[in-house]
Amino acid sequence: MTPRPTTPPAECAGFVAVSVHLTGFDEFTLRSTGMVRLYHDTTIEQVGRAAVGRFLGDLAAAGDDPGRITDPVSLDIARAITHLWYLGVWPRLARATHTALGRETANTAFVVSPQAWSEGLVWRALGGHAPGARPPGFGTWAAPPPAPHPRPAPSGARP
Amino acid sequence: MTTAPTPARPAEPPFRVPRDRADLHRFLQAALTLEHLTIPPYLTAMYTLRPGTNRTAFQVIRGVVVEEMLHMTLVANVLNAVGGEPKVAHSRFVTPYPARLPYSRDHITVALRHFGPDALRTFLLVERPAGIARPPGHPSVASDTGWTSVGQFYRTIATGLAELTDRLGEHALFTGDPARQVGPSDFYNSGGEVFPVTGLDSALTALRVITEQGEGADHAVYDSDDRVFGEHRRPGHYFRFNEILQQRRYGPYDTPATGPNGPPLDVSWEDAHPIDPAGTLADYPPDSEVREAADRFDETYARLLCTLETAYTGEPVVLRDSVPAMLELRDLAEWICRNPHPDPARRALGLHAAPTYEITDAHFARAWSTLLS
Amino acid sequence: MSAVPPPRERRHDVIVVGAGMAGSLIARHLGDQGWRVLVLEAGTDTLSTWEGHQEAVDTFHAALYKVPNAPYRPNAAAPSPGVADLEGLPTGGYRAHGYLLQRGPLPYSSDYLRANGGTGLHWMGLTPRMHPDDFAVRTTYGYGRDWPLGYDDLEPHYRAAEQQLGVAADAEEQREAVGLPFPEGYTYPMEAVPRSHLDHLLAGRLDGTALREEPGAPAVPLRVVTTPHARNSTPDPRYDDGHGYRPAGAVGPNAYGERCVGNASCVPICPAQAKYTPLKTQAVWGPHVTLVARAVVSRVLVTGDGRVTGVEYQRYEDPAGPVHTTHTAEADVVVLAAHAVENAKLLLHSRLAGSSDQVGRNLMDHPTLLTWALLDRPTGPFRGPGSTSGLEGFRTGPARSVRAPFRVEIANWGWAWPAGSPAGDVAELLGIPADTTAPRPGPLFGPALRQALTGRLERQFSLQFAVEQDAESRNRVTLDPRHRDRLGIPRPVLTYDLSDHVKRGLAAARNVSRELFRLLGAEDHTAYAPGPLAPGHFRFDGADLVFQGAGHGAGTHVMGDSPGTSVVDPWQRCWDHPNLYAVGCGSMPSVGTSNPSLTMAALTLRSCEQIHRDLMDLHRPVTLRPHPVDKAPAASRRPGGRP
Repeated sequence: MTPRPTTPPAECAGFVAVSVHLTGFDEFTLRSTGMVRLYHDTTIEQVGRAAVGRFLGDLAAAGDDPGRITDPVSLDIARAITHLWYLGVWPRLARATHTALGRETANTAFVVSPQAWSEGLVWRALGGHAPGARPPGFGTWAAPPPAPHPRPAPSGARP
Repeated sequence: MTTAPTPARPAEPPFRVPRDRADLHRFLQAALTLEHLTIPPYLTAMYTLRPGTNRTAFQVIRGVVVEEMLHMTLVANVLNAVGGEPKVAHSRFVTPYPARLPYSRDHITVALRHFGPDALRTFLLVERPAGIARPPGHPSVASDTGWTSVGQFYRTIATGLAELTDRLGEHALFTGDPARQVGPSDFYNSGGEVFPVTGLDSALTALRVITEQGEGADHAVYDSDDRVFGEHRRPGHYFRFNEILQQRRYGPYDTPATGPNGPPLDVSWEDAHPIDPAGTLADYPPDSEVREAADRFDETYARLLCTLETAYTGEPVVLRDSVPAMLELRDLAEWICRNPHPDPARRALGLHAAPTYEITDAHFARAWSTLLS
Repeated sequence: MSAVPPPRERRHDVIVVGAGMAGSLIARHLGDQGWRVLVLEAGTDTLSTWEGHQEAVDTFHAALYKVPNAPYRPNAAAPSPGVADLEGLPTGGYRAHGYLLQRGPLPYSSDYLRANGGTGLHWMGLTPRMHPDDFAVRTTYGYGRDWPLGYDDLEPHYRAAEQQLGVAADAEEQREAVGLPFPEGYTYPMEAVPRSHLDHLLAGRLDGTALREEPGAPAVPLRVVTTPHARNSTPDPRYDDGHGYRPAGAVGPNAYGERCVGNASCVPICPAQAKYTPLKTQAVWGPHVTLVARAVVSRVLVTGDGRVTGVEYQRYEDPAGPVHTTHTAEADVVVLAAHAVENAKLLLHSRLAGSSDQVGRNLMDHPTLLTWALLDRPTGPFRGPGSTSGLEGFRTGPARSVRAPFRVEIANWGWAWPAGSPAGDVAELLGIPADTTAPRPGPLFGPALRQALTGRLERQFSLQFAVEQDAESRNRVTLDPRHRDRLGIPRPVLTYDLSDHVKRGLAAARNVSRELFRLLGAEDHTAYAPGPLAPGHFRFDGADLVFQGAGHGAGTHVMGDSPGTSVVDPWQRCWDHPNLYAVGCGSMPSVGTSNPSLTMAALTLRSCEQIHRDLMDLHRPVTLRPHPVDKAPAASRRPGGRP
């Protein structure tokens, strides 16, 4: 076995910590999607490093509570990252945000990869699975729905 | 990384042809353990793959796992047919890993490894064709050699079945309750079908399916599923794994000696999460999310084995519940393997977490209580 | 089966146009009888390989809108209509984009798929038989058109179709709860697909109760009934006199085609291939069947005496490229099996079968009313096949004289169809409106978002009322030479509307839904209004209603007992052309309230017998009458029921 020395100890640790606040899912669950790197890269590609930096500053200033962000552009970025995690879909930004960021790409929604759809957190929130992915087996639909796993943290999940 | 102690070998029956019914039960129970031995390593390779990568390799290994489940079930049918009691839901059934491959003169270590050339080379050793080693007692076999191959072990069981049938008569040997036989309604498609074992012929067919799906038929590349099940020709397990390792398919005229010369097969070795092949649950900090998930995995695995045991001991229809359990294990295993190792030293090496298959009696107790509730 | 185009000079016994469910079944049976069959498929053939199947699953996962055609590549050479082609207008009315041109007061809202396997790739896989009453709606209830056949004529073919499709159902329950006659001791090939948790919840509250659709109306007893599926369940060892049933395999390295694993994506694609698709029939085609994909039949060729000689077709290599080449193929019998709309298009463009003036008319669908609600406890939504049970009590009875009947499907996928859940819920809670210029409400994040989402989604369920549409000659497919596709073939022009009989059925369904939700103690969230996502909006009796298409296009080459009033005879043979068959739902004079594929398959298998007889007649070595079929007067040709 040859571990790759270039692998950072914890990939995109900062992005994951922020995503815990945005999504309400713990780090284990976020990493269990296998989507951390892709979502991190997609976010930077879509809004640029500078805007991500301002968003991180605004989030810190809001005491890590994304709901208290006041800057509309940063708030829209918070919406978009959360949407990405829940559905695997990068959403359309508000036109004002799109303009403010001077984005050169079209303001369109897209599924970032086939796996991203399968890994959407919305299905975990239901204890279920995305249609066409991760099927649970014959007859499982006859049983009461499984409890969502893991259960939501009582408040401000640990980073 | 820790240096593992010399792996233990699962208990082997004595090197002889089974002499009586009790002996036969012991051999078949050992065969069940043997068929199960490879399942955790195969699952580990599958579930360390990064999402969406190495699709072909994933499907190949998945297909083999399904066939191993079929083999376990066929062995259980044979064991039931001769009045035995298949036992798969206890902690000694799950060999500690790394394990030493039984029925082999060579010291072959079977570890839980991430998808990669090392894992594939182990799989090849496990599934390699048996050669022509005869059962113990055959003039060509010295009495003190011990087992030399899995194929020899199965041929020995077949010989024992035939001899006992001669001695006792078919009716007297195959006394099992037909209602305990798992049939095609309970397990079908995607790797052959289960069929009931009711006498010597079907018992020998079952053993033939087991050895040939692994090694290929008559030392050819392709197995005999097309003859037994009316399915498409496909290479035996050994050759399917070799296709991945060599990154090339076997062509229609290839033989074991030529190796695969067909079209190339895409494999990307780097698209797997590296894990510690000697890892144990104790490596995960007690309060970590990974530890909790790995423990939950073990309990779910115990539930799978409890389900199988229920199906093998009188309620064949329960076998269908094994698929949901397998799929739950798929989710848990992938979730764990996508997380970096919680131990900082191992994480620094780029290692990821993985299920360790340390299934304890406590797991079985909890699994039974879940199933019964 | 061979993928190589046949040598030009080779003659075929039969040409089948379209490799969907009907075409694949015909090719199988005639091929097995030794006839040389050429199957021409307009679309591409990508799903019959493992890689193609996998790619389609990926394409579905990566599609922003999970519409039925989402997994299948758009094809400019053989375009397909899509449900997203229709756009509702803010104050009512609709606009149609895409392949179909629409000129009716209401839109024909269904799609179909032109690809090898056809719409059978993305069907839901529900296979209820039609009710015996459904075959004589004109005589019994005074609307629509009667069949020239009855349930009894079709019954053996229903059994044959159930065998071919591998249907999972409970015959005893169907007999008791739906009133379907079966031969004594009949079992389906597989045991019924297990009911969903939702079915169990609803059964617990509805079974044994009764409902009046309006005050004073008779009480209809309620019972949740398991729906037959063409989906792998557990083979029934009692089937076929105890021989059991062996599920058909599918494409893939592991001989996939296993038991349903609950992917919950039957429409648009079953990743496990547990659902029947025509590709499973194609997998057992014998050597006499040749498939040529990317071959768009443009015309049926005919001689002066009305016999057809073959077809003209356009081949293309690259669906996105500009090049196509024209070919002809000849055969003794031509079978059109290209979908109700496409069959009509071909007949119209070829100017065939027109003596009754019924080609293209009587276009039907199952206009479907969706209603949605929240139960007082988790329903387990988005799991299992799309629907596993229904309510069968509204399918027939005297009320049919007044309003169209309907079948109630209990929908297992939450509000996915009526409200775009769960994506719509996520966007709403995050304050992301569809309009990027609209103000964005304050979002929820973190545990509050999770809890709100779980709370909104976990109790969702919906009902789908599939309403029978009566055959009306004004609902029709026509052609307009000004509008052609890229190969120069005229595109279908649809004129579509709902009769008052149907609208009364939809309104009654809305009332029944209210009563059901009341009996269930469910919170009704159903609301209908014009808007971009409601092209099927209309007002009736002062109320807003919105209907959806069910993908059940039918009626366009209607079957009858007289050449003056119908296009095909009871064998689906064109009255005007003794060796031209038009098969599929297009032949149905009425559609009842059953998903039509099983009935289509049964009719198709029945027609195979007659096609075989026709071919035998033509190939009889010594005969006193060279063209016996030609010379027989139409009336005596009509077999009228079982031979």
